[in-house]
Parts: sequence; C-alpha cells; structure tokens
Amino acid sequence: MPTVEYGGKTFTVDEDGFIDSFDNWNEEWVQLVKEAEGIDELTDEHWKTVQVLQDYYKKNGIAPMVRILSKVTGFKLKHIYELFPSGPGKGACKMAGLPKPTGCV
Amino acid sequence: MAFVSSGYNPAKPMENRITDIGPRKYDEFYPPVIKKNKGKWLYHEILQPGVLVHVAESGDEVYTVRVGGIRLMSVTLIREVCDIADKHCDGHLRFTTRNNIEFMVDSKDKVQPLIDDLESRKFKGGSFKFPVGGTGAGVTNIVHTQGWIHCHTPATDASGPVKATMDVLFDDFKNMRLPAHVRVSLACCLNMCGAVHCSDIAILGYHRKPPLMDHEYLDKMCEIPLAIASCPTAALKPGKVELADGTSVKSILVNEPRCMFCGNCYTMCPSMPLADTEGDGIVIMAGGKVSNRISAPKFSKVVVAFFPNEVPRWPQTTNCIKNMIEVYAADARKYERLGEWAERIGWERFFEKCELDFTHHLIDDFRDPAYYTWRQTTQFKF
Ligand code: HEM
Ligand code: HEM
Ligand code: SF4
Ligand code: SF4
Repeated sequence: MPTVEYGGKTFTVDEDGFIDSFDNWNEEWVQLVKEAEGIDELTDEHWKTVQVLQDYYKKNGIAPMVRILSKVTGFKLKHIYELFPSGPGKGACKMAGLPKPTGCV
Repeated sequence: MAFVSSGYNPAKPMENRITDIGPRKYDEFYPPVIKKNKGKWLYHEILQPGVLVHVAESGDEVYTVRVGGIRLMSVTLIREVCDIADKHCDGHLRFTTRNNIEFMVDSKDKVQPLIDDLESRKFKGGSFKFPVGGTGAGVTNIVHTQGWIHCHTPATDASGPVKATMDVLFDDFKNMRLPAHVRVSLACCLNMCGAVHCSDIAILGYHRKPPLMDHEYLDKMCEIPLAIASCPTAALKPGKVELADGTSVKSILVNEPRCMFCGNCYTMCPSMPLADTEGDGIVIMAGGKVSNRISAPKFSKVVVAFFPNEVPRWPQTTNCIKNMIEVYAADARKYERLGEWAERIGWERFFEKCELDFTHHLIDDFRDPAYYTWRQTTQFKF
C-alpha cells in the first residue's frame, strides 16, 4: 500500500486515501484529510463529528448509521455535507480514521 | 495525454458547483409524432419480428424497429447508433428496459430502408451490429450485469455467457414461434442485480467454497459486527486468532459446515475473499415472471445445481438453456409462460421432459419457509 507524508508523519493508505489502521490515526491525519477533502477550516463541529464517530467505533466496532450520527451530533445530514463535502462516509469517516465503507456503495 | 482542466478548481471544490439537477426531462427527446400523440394511442400491431406499428386517434402512425443491444458498448458504437438515427429518424431513438435499441419512423415507406441499413452493418468478426428482432413470443435481450468486466464479487462472467447464450438462441430473437415470450437473465453473483429471480430462465454465478480468511488485516479493514450480521446462516462469530508471529488479533471464525458460499461477508469485509477458479460456476433457474397476465408474478426456481465456468463459450450452460426452450416450445400451450407450463404439468414432469437431473441441492432447506416447498399431498405423477 502507498504511503503519504504529512507534518513529519508517514501514513499508509489505500487507493482511496483511507488509513490502513485506526490505531495509526493522529491529529496530523486530520489535517491531511482536511486538505484532500477540500475543507477550508476545521471547526468545533468537524471535531465533534470526528469525536462521535471515533467513540462509536471504539465502543461498537462499526461506524454509526447516518441517523445515529445525526441524532448524537445534532447535525442534520445537510449540515454534515456542509462540513464534509464528500459526505459522512468518504469525508467524515476517512478523517476519523475508520475503515473504508463497504457494501453496494 | 497532458492534463486538461474542465474548469473545476480542486483548491475550491464547492465553487461554481452544480448539484441536484436530476436527469433531463424525457419529453425533451420525443420524436414529434410521439409528442403529438402522447396518451392518445389506439392500438398496435407487430408487423414482423422486430417491427411494431402504433396507431393514434389522429390516424398518425409510428413504426418502431427494435434491434439487439449489447449493453456494454463503446462511444464509437453509440455514435454509429446516432448516425443511423440522424439518417432515418430525425435524430431520435430510445433504449428499452431490456437494453435493446428502438428506432422510430413516422411512415411505412421509411421502414424497409431502415431495416436494410441496420441489417447490413456488421463487426469485423462477422457478428451483426444491429440485428432486428426481440418482439412478441420469442427470446429478447438478456438482462445482465458486470461480471469480470468490473465487479469484485462475481462467481462468473456476464458479457461472455450472454454472448454465448444469445448466439445459441439467435433464431428465437429473430422469430416469434414460442408459446409466449421467454425472458432470459443473468447475474454473476447471488446479489442478483437485475432480473434473475423473476425470469423464465436465469443464469446465476455460484460459489462452492467458504471464504479465505485474511486474519492479519481483517480487524483493520472490516467492521467485524457488520460482517457477522451479513451471514444469512449465522456461520460467523467473532474470535481471537494468533498470527504466525505470535501476535493475537481480533478476527472472525467461520463455521464451515454452516456456510453456503453466498459471499455476503466478502461484500461487507474485503478480508474474506471466496472466488475460486474450479469452485465457481453457474446455477440455472427457471419459471419466473413479473407480469400479472393470467397468473400472478412468480419467482424462478433452481433447476440445475451446477455447471462449471467453461470460458469462453460455456457450452453446458448454453446447451441446457437451448434444450429447455425447445422442450417448452414443443409442449406448452399458447400464451403459457415457462413457469405456468412447469406448474401445470408438475415439476416432476418438467425435469423428466427437459432431461434434467434432480439432485438434493434443489430441495429448499432455508428456514421455516422451506417446508412449504415440499409436497404435502399424495398428488404426483410416477
Ligand atoms: C452489490 C450491490 C450492487 C452493486 C455494487 C451494483 C452495481 C452496479 C453497477 C456498477 C452497474 C453498472 C451500471 C452502469 O453500467 O453504468 C449495475 C447495473 C445494474 N444493476 Fe446494480 N448494483 C447493485 C445492486 C443492484 C440490485 C439490488 C439491483 C436490482 C434489484 C440492481 C440492478 C441493476 C441493473 C438492472 C443493472 C443494469 C443496468 C443497465 O442495463 O445498465 N443492482 N449495478
Ligand atoms: C397499461 C400499460 C402497459 C401494460 C399492460 C404493459 C404490459 C407489459 C408486459 C406484460 C410486458 C412483458 C413483461 C414480462 O413479463 O417480461 C411488458 C414489457 C415491456 N413494456 Fe410494457 N406495458 C404497458 C405500458 C408500457 C409503456 C407505456 C411502455 C413504454 C413507453 C412499455 C414498454 C415496455 C417495454 C420496453 C417492455 C419490454 C420489451 C422488451 O424489451 O422486451 N410498456 N409490458
Ligand atoms: S450480480 Fe453480483 S457480481 Fe454481478 S454485478 Fe451484481 S454484485 Fe457484482
Ligand atoms: S459466504 Fe455467506 S454463508 Fe458463508 S460465511 Fe460468508 S456470509 Fe456466511
């Protein structure tokens, strides 16, 4: 798998730019994804979304359903797209270091 | 080729972005005679295989010439289709729900030149580019999927077996000699994209081996609970596995006797691949339909448990289908779909007449509903 460097750290990623392992996530990764995903500025709302995704993943071993993400963060889907233009899967989950979404996507 | 920008600015991806505009409205592309007579059609006739005429209240007529579509096609071929439409149909054409192409003209004298033009066009290898047919009680196009061209979960190919089958059934694409129309569909795995579960004859890609476990990466790449919940027979459970280097990782344990090789777990988890050259092949199903005509819609039933993938022409598969259609054509009554025929004569007669082996694989064993597929009556034929 290819590697990318950012802020003095090296990350192993797949062809879609998802990190190889949740354990290798750190704050530099967030900055890296911010640029790749076309996000101008990281706000508290971005961090809150990342936090919710990570807590849920650690506790349940899966990413939350979109309805749960909305309910826990209080952000409607439309607002999640305003924060993460690629959406909750390709944008927010990637930034949070979760595994790449699977299935008929 | 060097990079050529479309005007999109990767530094400001949301700037000038157009979204949620939906498809173009269908009536922008109507031929004038369709636009004028929309909702006012009186009757239609099939003039000959592949040629229809619709007559409107106004007396206007529209002649439709249907040609076989290969579905997977190059821009070059689409341009040729457009050239034909420009030449004969004022630039209009449409695709059917079975991926055939229809050219429409507004008077009878334009029909024969169009047919002559279409039938004269061939690929270098000799096959027809635009064979006219697919109407009435015949075999029309095969609804099919991605196969080895593009998908990651197939157990067989799509375009290859479809070409092999349509070559064998070509005469019935160009004729209308059957008791009713026969719909053939293919799906390359039992996700069944398309219409295999509701077709007169269906070709379905099938695995025969359980997934191979990539324990080293599984917990990193997969959401373990999703993979476990994806299994219809509960063959999976979470567990710890010790790798060759002694590290213990979270992973999934497969109870192989419970696995029936559906591949759902691989759809959810990239670390559980199961495709296999010898193991994979084709299941044949028969007797489905979607229309409400006479009998209610039916699911197709499994009639052949396994044929191997015989690249590139799948002879056992195509022979079996050809034979089933011949027996149906000779034995069924007019208007009777294949499934209606099989149910009337009894499935035991269907197997006898089609000379298909009845194996234990064909007996339903999935949950409570399996019971209703067994025979709770003394009514059967020896
Ligand atoms: C694993 C889940 C699925 C995936 C990954 C998937 C993906 C695709 C893709 C990529 C195509 C080709 C589209 C194109 O040619 O541009 C396709 C075609 C098609 N899919 Fe699916 N699909 C899925 C599920 C389904 C389901 C559940 C159905 C029906 C109930 C379905 C019906 C069809 C049909 C009819 C076509 C052919 C369309 C055509 O003629 O171009 N798909 N699918
Ligand atoms: C009351 C209205 C209609 C009825 C009762 C009707 C009935 C049917 C039936 C029974 C089939 C065969 C389905 C099967 O068992 O495979 C069929 C197929 C089809 N219908 Fe209709 N239909 C109607 C309206 C339309 C309209 C308005 C269109 C298009 C403008 C249309 C286009 C088609 C096409 C393209 C096929 C498949 C033909 C092929 O490519 O093989 N139908 N229809
Ligand atoms: S039927 Fe299965 S293998 Fe074929 S395109 Fe659909 S998901 Fe892919
Ligand atoms: S292939 Fe299907 S039956 Fe076998 S373990 Fe995976 S999900 Fe279960």
